[in-house]
Amino acid sequence: MSYPAPDLAEARAYAERAAAAIGLPLSAERIPAVAQHLAILLAAAALVLDFPLPEDEDAAPVFEP
Amino acid sequence: MSAASLEASDAVGVAEAVRARRATAAEVAERALARIAARDPALNCFTAVLAERARRDAAAVDAALARGEDPGPLAGAPVAVKNLFDVEGLTTLAGSRINAERPPASRDSACVAALRRAGAVLVGALNMDEYAFGFTTQNTHYGPTRNPHDRDRVAGGSSGGSGAAVAAGLVPLTLGSDTNGSIRVPAALCGVFGLKPTYGRVSRRGTAPFAGSFDHVGPLARSTRDLAAAFDVLQGPDAADPAASRRPAEPVGQGWRQGIAGLRIAVAGEHFARGGEPEALAAVAEVAQALGARETVILPEPHRARAAALIITSAEGAQLHLPDLRARPDDFDPMTRDRFLAGALVPATAYVAAQRFRAWYRAAVRLLFNQIDVLLAPSTPYPAPRIGQERITVAGQEVPARTTLGLYTQPLSFIGLPVISVPMARAPGRLPLGVQLVAAPFREAALLRVAAHLEAEGVVAARIA
Repeated sequence: MSYPAPDLAEARAYAERAAAAIGLPLSAERIPAVAQHLAILLAAAALVLDFPLPEDEDAAPVFEP
Repeated sequence: MSAASLEASDAVGVAEAVRARRATAAEVAERALARIAARDPALNCFTAVLAERARRDAAAVDAALARGEDPGPLAGAPVAVKNLFDVEGLTTLAGSRINAERPPASRDSACVAALRRAGAVLVGALNMDEYAFGFTTQNTHYGPTRNPHDRDRVAGGSSGGSGAAVAAGLVPLTLGSDTNGSIRVPAALCGVFGLKPTYGRVSRRGTAPFAGSFDHVGPLARSTRDLAAAFDVLQGPDAADPAASRRPAEPVGQGWRQGIAGLRIAVAGEHFARGGEPEALAAVAEVAQALGARETVILPEPHRARAAALIITSAEGAQLHLPDLRARPDDFDPMTRDRFLAGALVPATAYVAAQRFRAWYRAAVRLLFNQIDVLLAPSTPYPAPRIGQERITVAGQEVPARTTLGLYTQPLSFIGLPVISVPMARAPGRLPLGVQLVAAPFREAALLRVAAHLEAEGVVAARIA
């Protein structure tokens, strides 16, 4: 099942709630533009999440203890 | 030879003249400062001019020569750096108003220190998109940098000041940074050479970060040999940069002169052969013909690589600035603010998937480099847009004018491949365009050989306005 690319209304609803959850103030006049950018990011996220990765494909961190 | 006759010279040419005592570093520095004073007000490349430091460093170069010492391979060459590099005594703006409140840097960044040890004379700091989040250097706080070839057009970004300062002949060599295309885009749009080295090859110590997973630093210049000289000065391990490779430096020296014999060169197809203006794609064909490259190779999933790069960049950049986004969003540049705010809301699952996809994509692209040495791709889909332009029609489709500039650069920096953007030699009156030369990790030498060959053949040439 492919991941959905949310529409603008969903991106807006998500932006408002997620911003509140991390204490990021979003003023009313800023919300439409932020939602628009977030919709682009969530569409990109859907594209990446749709790609089947093997379970053992680990990220490549540079952290070296 | 007078310092005046060196104005058309590249950095290595200046250094040769200074080391041979045909010109003094002091004269060369004065000429550079005079050019900047006369021409920069119309272009807005510089956010700080360091006349006092330049005069002091130039005098030190001349004094070293007088004592019979070698001041280094860039002796007396005037240079300037994007204002995200720490310069001792200067506040590191990173294109922002917020960071202007910080105290001056207490010491030079690794790259600025390396340039100085090589005898280069730093004359100033250069304009950029706020926090490097952009491809056009339309900075609301400090004003847009104008393209020297058409002042109504952008210089590209985010290292726009670095591209335009070289293209205007203000200095022959600059440093920029490249996370998604920020050296290659301004190099292409301004008609100069730009090298984004392999991820981890050049230390980022003392630079303001943007997205640590992809942040690179490197030179922009008016010749291939300047890129080679600067690369040798800058490259090598540095324990102070956690992403720096521990691989020892591999100096190119004069290796860029070796020619292209034995190099397997191919053109990147599909994603890299569509979505651009015909002239941008024709530039790749012209370079391919000059190199005898007939094969086409297909990179797997480049559109997904670009999407993943966007997610990681947005999330890392926004997280870095989250305290300021919460406390003082109005102090951000309107050109970046809403994108940073959106980046702060990216779901963790998308970020992690993007990082895991990056590892998959790296392995897949590595396989391609078993068969080829150098890959060709356009640098940008179109020449410089107009300042303020929001949308652009490309190949019959209307797209966002700013973000689409990274169409061909993002899938390559995503996995840290070394890339040179070479400037096409074009008829006067036509806007500059670039072509990316791409190699396997740590194979910068192969890129420099190809760039030097193209330059010698007259296919590529820096355009100095």
